[in-house]
Amino acid sequence: MLVIEQLHYATTPRYNFPQPLGDLELPQKIIDLSLNSMSNLEGESFQTCEVDFLELTRSTQERENMACLNGRSFSTQLTPLKPISDDTPIIAIDVSSIKFGETETGILCAVRGSVVWNRRRQYRYFRMGPFPFYVNEDNKMEVIDLLRQYHFQVSSSLNPIDMQAKLCSLTEKWIQMNICSSSNSSIILWDGSLTAATSNNPLEVISHLLKMARQRSNSVLAFSKTTRIGFLRRKIADLSRKYPPPWLFEVQQMTFSPSLHLLGNVYIARFKCNGYSFRLDIDRMVPIEEKICAVQKLIGNDLVFQSYPESLRLAHIYSTFTANEVIGIQHYIAQEFKLKVLTRPNVRKMLFGPFGTRSDD
Amino acid sequence: MKLYKKAGNTIHILSFPGEDAKKGCYLIIEDKGCNKSMIVQVIDIQFANIPGIMEELLRDSFDDGSVYGESIDPLDITSHILYIQDASLLVCKIHGSIEDAKLVLDSSWLPSRVRSKIRRLPIESLINLAAINGSLPINLGETDESRHVTIDAHALDGKLNIITGKKGTGKSHLSKILVLGLIDHKATTIVLDLNGEYTHLGLTSDGKENNFYRKIHVLTPGLNFKVTLPQISLYVMQKVLIYALNLPGTSSREFRRIWKALDDRGDLSLHELGEAIRSWNCNQNVKDALFSRYHALLQSGFFTDNSGEAVSLEEIFWKTENGGAVVINLSDASPTDRQIVVEYILGKLQELLSREKIRPVFLFAEEAHLYLRETYWDDIVTRMRHLGVFTTFITNQPNTIHENIYRQADNVFLFNFINEHDLEIISRAAKVDVETAISIVRDLPPRHCLALGAAVRDFPIVVKVKDLDLQTGGETRLFFANGQMQKVGII
Repeated sequence: MLVIEQLHYATTPRYNFPQPLGDLELPQKIIDLSLNSMSNLEGESFQTCEVDFLELTRSTQERENMACLNGRSFSTQLTPLKPISDDTPIIAIDVSSIKFGETETGILCAVRGSVVWNRRRQYRYFRMGPFPFYVNEDNKMEVIDLLRQYHFQVSSSLNPIDMQAKLCSLTEKWIQMNICSSSNSSIILWDGSLTAATSNNPLEVISHLLKMARQRSNSVLAFSKTTRIGFLRRKIADLSRKYPPPWLFEVQQMTFSPSLHLLGNVYIARFKCNGYSFRLDIDRMVPIEEKICAVQKLIGNDLVFQSYPESLRLAHIYSTFTANEVIGIQHYIAQEFKLKVLTRPNVRKMLFGPFGTRSDD
Repeated sequence: MKLYKKAGNTIHILSFPGEDAKKGCYLIIEDKGCNKSMIVQVIDIQFANIPGIMEELLRDSFDDGSVYGESIDPLDITSHILYIQDASLLVCKIHGSIEDAKLVLDSSWLPSRVRSKIRRLPIESLINLAAINGSLPINLGETDESRHVTIDAHALDGKLNIITGKKGTGKSHLSKILVLGLIDHKATTIVLDLNGEYTHLGLTSDGKENNFYRKIHVLTPGLNFKVTLPQISLYVMQKVLIYALNLPGTSSREFRRIWKALDDRGDLSLHELGEAIRSWNCNQNVKDALFSRYHALLQSGFFTDNSGEAVSLEEIFWKTENGGAVVINLSDASPTDRQIVVEYILGKLQELLSREKIRPVFLFAEEAHLYLRETYWDDIVTRMRHLGVFTTFITNQPNTIHENIYRQADNVFLFNFINEHDLEIISRAAKVDVETAISIVRDLPPRHCLALGAAVRDFPIVVKVKDLDLQTGGETRLFFANGQMQKVGII
């Protein structure tokens, strides 16, 4: 049973979080998919992965943003911000995935999502998962069918390795759906951007999520920790340090791949002198005043240490996997499904000795 | 449990929640591939170095105050994560191997990490395997598995033993168990009882006579323990004068002449000795020195001219032929008197043993530094032991026992110590593996001891010392004890 503070939820008493769980039926499907996929593993032997936890801090979405939004020319407009403290709830969502093993025919990965609520600087969190998945050539169609059901454009020839990001994204969209459909007059923080029609961000799904959020007077703000938006071949994050924060730079006339849809206006946001600058996407359909107001409410009601919202930082912390958890998941798999764990020699170490290692040594 | 690594005679084992391994317990590593097993003892339990644990703890620390929340984990993977988090590393010492069902002291082989099965070795099995309990069992107490620990009295025979630990941990209690155990097997024990703790060995806690009542002979110097001069040989008396009363060499030679003259006349008595010194023709300084020692002997109350009240130690020993204890109650004796009495007893013992008039004896010496002269320490581990005095030292100040005693001790019973200096001293004992002793002893609860040495066949065993239904004696008097407070009108 979830115990979550009653915020600005829908008036119908029955329709409180996680009521939409039942409506969307996705969690049970995810659990079933997880268990079904794992049942194929019974008696097999699996090879644990050496997980690069530094690399994990960069989410798949971030890498995608970096690849897609390499703008060539744009003009900028600076908007100074004034924090508004009015107890507007801040809700942050993040999802992490990790590949923790592989067999001869597939991969083992796990997904976990988290939501952090901040009201009057009181933080509450809700974590879902981890959900382990085994995806191989034999069962990948089951995963693909589920993804297609939720409008993900997935090719039948998709490599099992790419399924990890898809499953992660699917879980994230489900959590976002729940939050957007159950919260009112809140600031909803997503990790990533509002760039749609990418392989992990179906246009229909993102549009629908934003629409639901708008209908309940929510504002969706999407933060990207890294971006390749540049100006005169320099990162805009570097150029903007001379203006005293807090401010927003709106990035206009941006050129990008015609297959992509920017569902939000793209800004560079900087909230603190001693912080960083981040790319911030705000729902394009929201009036400009409301956009600015939403950001001002964010910095007025949430901690923004290093210019990054604390709620989103906590959501990331609660969803991300630690090395200890990876071992725990491997232990679960080995015990529940009677798997034999193999440790394959590290070829890099064997070839290059002490020079063939990364941060793990 | 999983074998992690081996370095020298130390083995590291990964242990998971539910696998019950405590400090001091024994594990057996069975490698069926080579049909061998290794016996190891857990000397320390540490947290396993789990990767990512710092992040995990930091994240959990949010839950302590600023952030509340909950997790939905339908597959209950969290329990597995917590299981890994709670893994511990057992630091173990190798104590031998089992080959063809026989115990061998070979620790040079390496068990397989993959094939080896690790399980707890019940102390009972270890005791049987190492034949610790022989034909003359003395029950010391029990293990944490509630199994009895018995040692063989043969393991104390001809041996030098140490019982040490900080105050109030149960040293004297164990010492009493050994004394009574030896009496049970018809041995003669002598207890140099500094605090009058052993005087009630023959009484139960409710004051009734127990089975040992008639075998406990309490001798209190000056009261029921007095000797006449003819009972003392010149050799013993000279030792008393030289070592206990610091008589100089010249005076000692003069005393020897006086003594021989009285002995030849058949007038060896305190009175005659005083008269002889008074009338003896010698240097005035020598005379003064002899007189001062004579008065010290008189004031001790230990010597008498009345043969009716004199006690023959020889006869007392004969009474213990079928087992018994001679408790020398030194609780009310002054330091000098203590030394006089102990010099007499040890001198007499040597005399009787060298003439084979009595059987070997087990000597229990509490806080021996308070009455044992310097030269006796070496004597005890060499000549006296050879003659048949098998000593057990009991002390809460390990630094008061000479280093060579530690080095030659055959059995060491260690109670709790926390002080680094004390731990460093006890680690000098030859029978003690330094790491084992320091690690286990530091965490021993009261009334638990670590037995080391011949008595446990060099398999250190933690024993919860058994209770004894004895009347306690020599208790520390307390100011705030109820009776005392009532007596002085406080309550």
